[in-house]
Amino acid sequence: MLNAINSVIIDGMSFTLPLFIMAIGGIYSERSGITNLALEGLQGMGAFVGALVAYILGQQLGGDSRVPFYMAMLFAMLGGCVYSMLHAFLCIRLKANQVISGVVVNILAMALTSFLTKAINRTAFGAPSDKFDLGVSDRFTVPGISKIPILGAFFTKVYPFEVIIIIAAVIAWYFLYRTRFGLRLRACGDNPAAVDAAGGDVAKTRFIAVMVSGALSGLAGMCFAYSISAKFSSDIYMGYGYLAIAGYIFGNWEILPSLFACLIFGFARSAGSEIVLAAGLPTAYSDLIMILPYALTLVLLIFFSKHNAAPHALGEIYDKAKR
Amino acid sequence: MAENPYIVEMRHITKRFPGIVANDDVTISVKKGEIYALLGENGAGKSTLMSMLFGMYEPDEGQILIRGKEEKIESPSYAAGLNIGMVHQHFKLVSNYTIAENIVLGMELMKKAVGIFPYVDMKSANREVAELSKQYGLEVNPTDVISDVNVSTRQRVEILKMLYRKAEILIFDEPTAVLTPQEIQSLLQIIRNLRDGGKTIILITHKLEEIRQVADRCAILRRGKLVGVYDVAGMDAKKMASLMVGHEVQLTLDKKPMQAGAAVLDVENLHVENEDGFEVVKGVSFQVRAGEIFAIAGVSGNGQTEIADAVAGLMKVSGGNIEINGTDITHFDVRKRAETGLSYIPEDRQQVGLVLDFSLEDNLALRNYYKEPFQKNSVLQRPVFHKYGNELIAKYDIRSANGNETMVRSMSGGNQQKAIVGREIEQDAPLTIFVQPTRGLDIGAIENIHRQILEERDKGKAVLLISLELDEIMQLADTIAVIYNGQFGKIAPAADFTTAEVGEYMMGVKKS
Repeated sequence: MLNAINSVIIDGMSFTLPLFIMAIGGIYSERSGITNLALEGLQGMGAFVGALVAYILGQQLGGDSRVPFYMAMLFAMLGGCVYSMLHAFLCIRLKANQVISGVVVNILAMALTSFLTKAINRTAFGAPSDKFDLGVSDRFTVPGISKIPILGAFFTKVYPFEVIIIIAAVIAWYFLYRTRFGLRLRACGDNPAAVDAAGGDVAKTRFIAVMVSGALSGLAGMCFAYSISAKFSSDIYMGYGYLAIAGYIFGNWEILPSLFACLIFGFARSAGSEIVLAAGLPTAYSDLIMILPYALTLVLLIFFSKHNAAPHALGEIYDKAKR
Repeated sequence: MAENPYIVEMRHITKRFPGIVANDDVTISVKKGEIYALLGENGAGKSTLMSMLFGMYEPDEGQILIRGKEEKIESPSYAAGLNIGMVHQHFKLVSNYTIAENIVLGMELMKKAVGIFPYVDMKSANREVAELSKQYGLEVNPTDVISDVNVSTRQRVEILKMLYRKAEILIFDEPTAVLTPQEIQSLLQIIRNLRDGGKTIILITHKLEEIRQVADRCAILRRGKLVGVYDVAGMDAKKMASLMVGHEVQLTLDKKPMQAGAAVLDVENLHVENEDGFEVVKGVSFQVRAGEIFAIAGVSGNGQTEIADAVAGLMKVSGGNIEINGTDITHFDVRKRAETGLSYIPEDRQQVGLVLDFSLEDNLALRNYYKEPFQKNSVLQRPVFHKYGNELIAKYDIRSANGNETMVRSMSGGNQQKAIVGREIEQDAPLTIFVQPTRGLDIGAIENIHRQILEERDKGKAVLLISLELDEIMQLADTIAVIYNGQFGKIAPAADFTTAEVGEYMMGVKKS
């Protein structure tokens, strides 16, 4: 029993944290006023770039090196960030409809990454394959604390990326709520005209916010690639991006409440698969269990969407000349 | 050489927009430490002129001199650098931020945690804002969130924003349009205090009374051209009005004696609760007779709009009865009420009165589209819409760029209101409700609407008028009910009231 609880926590956290950092990315974008349905595509594109780098480095450096893992994280953030500039450009410079732009960015990411994965495998590595194998990530257990019952599970078999995410989340929180940039970013999502009148640059602030969402989503995508399948393939498009969106809506576009939402999703998922295991059900049932977080999302949104208020200027195109 | 007394000089300014000349060779000079008013109807070019001073547009021709030096003001932040500040008609505030956060936005005070991590220092900001608000007598609580405070407080925040940025030249764009009579008086006092503190004030307005109360000089604009600059002391309201409109204006209305008939609207012990379950109308009873203008006076937010909404069916009634010509309509839906005999000119013409992205003819047919001949077998008959639209446009003098086809959004406020009034009056219902019918309109349009309200009454219709403009009520009403805190303080024939007395009931000072 204790074992089962431990693995619910261990698996729950390794799913929750990437979801959380992606939700923070979404919060950055939407609090600045740019609707971001593109999280799904951003995390996929990030994971693709990171996985490609890790795959190449892995072949060069051999299986034991940890360099590929950390470089994958870095390049996933870069990849997500650069790709998100497409969304930012469409929405801010070209004043496109933000929902449509987000959907386009998602579809394009799916098509592009699976095409490129196959093409690169065939031409560069001479092996027909639709995935990049990443190798299993290291995990560590903190000696001492991990022996505490239940609480210790949070320090057992931890992926290194979980630490990276926590550091990134703290930095993101500090910037959003404590700095001048954060103050203006959040103002852009409520009344961009106020920022404009105060001498701020609405377009630039929003552009940076979308790029942050790209970088954080890329990081999340890479983490999912390592923890769920140890490879990059089109399996990455399982709807995690949409789940992150549900997470921050449920969290009312604030960082800490969104962590709470992501924890619910993460634990629902890991508890579900643990139940399937414990009951000895066929694996087909575990697929059914995987929908638990999504079903939960629906139920929760029914209750919470009434009380939660999106940023006022969300999705509105800001036109300086219009008064 | 004597010091140049003028802090702002705009010389031979011309600004063209596609299709119109918004400013045509306008020259004004503002002295340091005066209150300078810009008077003109909507569309006369006042706001455009000031937008150029504030750096939102650049003039096509002409020069702007600030403190005697020629300046090219290319952005609002450049204007702020010249100590020019503007309170816009539509406030530019972040609704989920505190008052202090709004004021410092863009000029945040920074501190460093542990010597390296910079953060926005709200503690000092709160203190500075509190000091500033005390210094100028602009009472605000720095930590209140904007969405929780009322309109006049928001306006004070906008003023503080300018003062925080060390503005010396303060531009107010129609500052009283959103305020109640009491709030207007306190704003005018604030403006006087600012002048006495050495600030230069430019006041954009079309309200003559305000100019007479505070302004030292006033420039009158008409259709983009400067009519003249006048010392306010030597002018009377009637003269200013005719200069502004370009012809003689009737400031007082010809009102025939009332010929009241039987009661049309009968409201018995009405109770209404708002969305939060708070009772805003607490047992109100009144009758409106045919041929009578029954006006409800009161400070905004005392339940008067809720009475109108409850009668029109936009709000649920929590207790009491409403009858029109003896038919109980308390539980009817909106359309059934309307068909029983009610026309409604709502307070918010853009949100409630019109579909802004529909054409004018569609908006004019909103009350009829489902009836024959506007539809046959559930198919809309466009030619009927078209013909009906043209009739109303001619009859009510609704002006727009493309007639029937005009998107209502692009029309001026006065013409939008004419469209609603035309549509509603055309229903020929025994009862017409007007809520704030002249809000934000200029003199010409106000005159027109007032004439129409009187015509309705003289045709023998019952008119329920709800207005925050005390002058409007005193001019039009046959019977006045003063509302305070959801209850009527006094109902009496208009002749029995003095303006001062109505004011006392409005403030709840006097109760009967």
